[in-house]
Amino acid sequence: MSTFSFISQTTWRCAPCNQELQPEKVNVSYMGSVFTVELMVCSTCGFVLIPEDLAMGKMHAVEQLLEDK
Amino acid sequence: MEQQLLRTLEATCIQEELPFCTAACPIHVDVRTFMACLAKGDERGARRVLDRTMPFADIVGRICDEPCRQACKRLEAGDPLAVASLERHCVTGTAVVLKLTKLPELEGRVVFFGSGLASMIAALDLARKGRSATILTTDREIGGSLRNFGEERLPLTVLDAAVEQLGSYGVNIIFDCQMDPEFVEYTLNYYDAVFMDRDWAPIDDFCLDCRHPDPLTLEVDRPGCFTGGGTGPDGYSVIQQVEEGRRAALSIERYLQKVSLTAQREREGACATRLFTDITGIEPLSLILPADPVAGYTRQEAAGEAARCLQCQCLECVKQCAFLQTFKEYPKTLVRKIYNNQAVVQGTRTANTMINSCSLCGQCTLICPHQFPMAEVCLTTRQSMVLDSTMPPSAHEFALQDMDFSLSAVAAMFRHQPGKSSSRYLFYPGCQLAGSAPDLVEKTYLHLTRHLEDGVGLMLGCCGIPAHWSGRQELFAATMEDFSTIIQENGNPLIITACSSCYATFKEFAPELQLRSLWQILEETGLPEEKRAPLSQPMTIHDPCGVRKEPEIRASVRNIVRQLGMSVAEQPFSGELTDCCGFGGLMQFVNGPLGEEAAERKGGRSSLDSLAYCAMCRDNLAASGHRVAHLLDYCFPAADQADPLLRANPGFSGRHENRARLKEQLLASLWQEASALAPEHKQVVLTIAPQVRELMEKRLILEDDLQKVILQAEQSGRFLEDPQTGHRLANHRPVRVTYWAEYEVLDSGYRVHNAYSHRMILPEGKKV
Repeated sequence: MSTFSFISQTTWRCAPCNQELQPEKVNVSYMGSVFTVELMVCSTCGFVLIPEDLAMGKMHAVEQLLEDK
Repeated sequence: MEQQLLRTLEATCIQEELPFCTAACPIHVDVRTFMACLAKGDERGARRVLDRTMPFADIVGRICDEPCRQACKRLEAGDPLAVASLERHCVTGTAVVLKLTKLPELEGRVVFFGSGLASMIAALDLARKGRSATILTTDREIGGSLRNFGEERLPLTVLDAAVEQLGSYGVNIIFDCQMDPEFVEYTLNYYDAVFMDRDWAPIDDFCLDCRHPDPLTLEVDRPGCFTGGGTGPDGYSVIQQVEEGRRAALSIERYLQKVSLTAQREREGACATRLFTDITGIEPLSLILPADPVAGYTRQEAAGEAARCLQCQCLECVKQCAFLQTFKEYPKTLVRKIYNNQAVVQGTRTANTMINSCSLCGQCTLICPHQFPMAEVCLTTRQSMVLDSTMPPSAHEFALQDMDFSLSAVAAMFRHQPGKSSSRYLFYPGCQLAGSAPDLVEKTYLHLTRHLEDGVGLMLGCCGIPAHWSGRQELFAATMEDFSTIIQENGNPLIITACSSCYATFKEFAPELQLRSLWQILEETGLPEEKRAPLSQPMTIHDPCGVRKEPEIRASVRNIVRQLGMSVAEQPFSGELTDCCGFGGLMQFVNGPLGEEAAERKGGRSSLDSLAYCAMCRDNLAASGHRVAHLLDYCFPAADQADPLLRANPGFSGRHENRARLKEQLLASLWQEASALAPEHKQVVLTIAPQVRELMEKRLILEDDLQKVILQAEQSGRFLEDPQTGHRLANHRPVRVTYWAEYEVLDSGYRVHNAYSHRMILPEGKKV
C-alpha cells in the first residue's frame, strides 16, 4: 500500500523529550484496516501528532468509509 | 428485507402513481410534464412529450377529445386545464422533435383493412416493432372519418405528412382496392394477423363478424383477427381510435409472439390512479382563453394557461419531514435504497447514514394516505444491521454511552420515600429531565410525596429507548428486564413518568407494569400554590412525538396549562401530527445538522413563546434559539423568578453533570446518605469558553473526556507544547475514541482552547 503523507511544519514540540517533531512513517488502523501514513512524530518517545484538520477531515472521512464497508 | 416485503412497501407509497390526467388518457400522455414545459416557454420540450407517447401528434394533438380534462385536479380549484387547446397550440407551432426508432425487421405479416386513424396507429406501432404492415383500403386517401374535420381543424397536408410518415416506417398502403368476400378470405389466410378498422364503411359486408370483439384484446371470433375504431353510440371519438388502434397493435404483437393476449393489461387504456394531491390552500384560478379564438393561444397565453397546472403529486410526508427532505427521497425510493443497501456484500453501504437518520417519530405514517410505515422500516433495518454486524460503530456509540452513564451508579438510584419501607407510587423523571432541570425533579418529587398517600418512591435511570432506537434488541431487552425486576421486587408500584418517551417505552414493552403520566397525576392532585404570575401573551404548546398516540395525556397537559392561568394558541402541527425535535431515533447523534434542522422546524411552527413538556424537546428547541420553557418551570417556579424562557440548553456535558449532582444532592438532602467519592479526573477544573463548548457539543465531546485527557497528560508528563503560546496538546483513548485537548495551565485548573477526536488507532509510543 502506498504511503500517504500528512507532514507539515508545526510549532508543537514534544515536551518531555524537549525536541521538535520529525516526519516519520507510522501505522494507524481502524476496523481491521491498517494504513501506513507519514505524520509528525517525536523520534525519541514516538508521540504522534494528529492535527485537528486531519482528525476532523481526511481521517474522519476514511473512518466513515470503513464503517460503511 | 425480503423482496416480497420490498414490493409491498413500494406499492404502499403512491408518489409514482399516474397523475389524474395521465390516468384518464387512454394512451397515458404525460400531461404534467407537457404543462411544465409549456409553462416555462419550452415548446420543443412540450412537443417532445407528445412525440414520445402520442402517435401522429400532428393529427391527434389538433383534434383530441381530451378525456383528461374532466379528471384534471384543477377542477377543484378553478377551471380544468385547456389540455386540447394547448396541445393544438403546441403541434401547430412545432415540428416533430422526437422521431421514434424502428426496431430491426421481424417475421410476421399484418394486414389492415381500412385506412382510418385506428388502422394508421396500429400499423405504425407494429411497423416500428419490425413487423411487415400493409394497409388495404377501398378509399383513395388515408384518414377515413378524419377527413370530415375540415381544413381549419385538420388540414389535409397533415394527413399527407402522415402517409409519408407511415412510408418512412415501411408501411405499405394500397389505395383503391377492389374487395369482395373471396379476396378478403384469401387475404385473411395469407397474412399472419389482421386488423379490421371499423371506420371503414364496408366492413360488415364481409364474412368476419367484427361487432363483438373481446373488450380487453379486441380479438374477434377468428384467431389472429382484431378490430377497433369506428363510430360508437356517442359518435366518432378521436381518442377511441387512438386507444383501440394501440390496444389492437399490442394484441397483434403478443399474438405474433405467441404469448398471452390477456396477461397484465390492467393499466392499459384509461385507468384508475391512487395518487393523492392535497389542494388545501390552493388559490382557485380560472381558465385563460386565447384573445383570438381562431388563431388560438399565443406563446405567452399558452405559458400562462399551462402554469395553472398543479403538477399533481403526493409528497404529503416529504412536505413535513426534515429527514425526507434532506435525503431528497420519498418512501418508495427510500425503501428501495434500503433494500439495495442491505444487499451489498462487498462494497460501500451508502445508505447507512440515511437509515440511521430517521427520527422514528411516526409523523409521516399518520400523514400518509396509505400509512407508509417508515419508522418500522428504518428500525427493523437497524436491528438487522446490528445482527449482521454491518451497523457502523460510531453511529450510536455516544448516545449508548450516555445511556450507560444514566444507568450507572453515578446517576441511577431507587429509594422508597424517606421514612417509608414501601412504595405505592414511583416517580420516574427520566434521564433527560434529570439532565436538563434537576431542581424540577426534586420539586416535583416533593410535591408528589405531599399529595399521594402510601409512599412515593423515586427512581433515577434511563428507560433504555436509545438502545431500542439504535437497533440493539438484546441490550434493550436486558435494560427493560432489569427495570421490570426492580419494579416487581419493590411491590409493583404505579410508575409516574415525566418523560413521554419513557411512558411510550414502558407502555409498549412492559405492559404488565402499572403506568401513568405525571401530567395526569398533576391534573388530579392539583398544582402547588406558589404559581408564577400568569403571562399575558398566549403560548404555543410543542407536543413531544412520544404522545402522538396519547390524546388523554395531551388533554391533561392543556388542562394544567389552563389551571396555571395561561392561554394556548395551538399550531397545526401539534397533537398527533407533532414533529420530532431531533432527539427521536437518535437522529441528532447520527446526523447533527439534520437534528438542528428538525429542532428548527419544530420550533418554527409558531412565532409565539412556547411550552414543551418533554425535556429533550425543551433543550433542543432552546438550543435552536427559540424561547421555550418546560411546563414544570411554570408549575414549580424558581425561587429567584428567573425567566424559564431564557434557560439555556445545558448540553451533553451539563446533562451528565446534572444527573450525577441530582443523585448526590437528593441522597444527601432527603435520605441523609453520603455519595461515593467522585473519580479522580472529576477534580480537574476546566475553564471553557462558550464557543469551545459549542464546538465540543457538535463534536460530541464531553467535559469528562477532556478531564481524563488532561489528568492523564499532567500525571504522565506526555504532552506536546507550543513555545509561542505555551499551550499544551495531549490525547487519551479511554475506550474506542481518541480525544485531543489543547489547553493552557492556569493558576487553578486549565483553560481548554480546542478539542477534537478520531477513532483511528495510533501506535503506542516508543518505550523511552
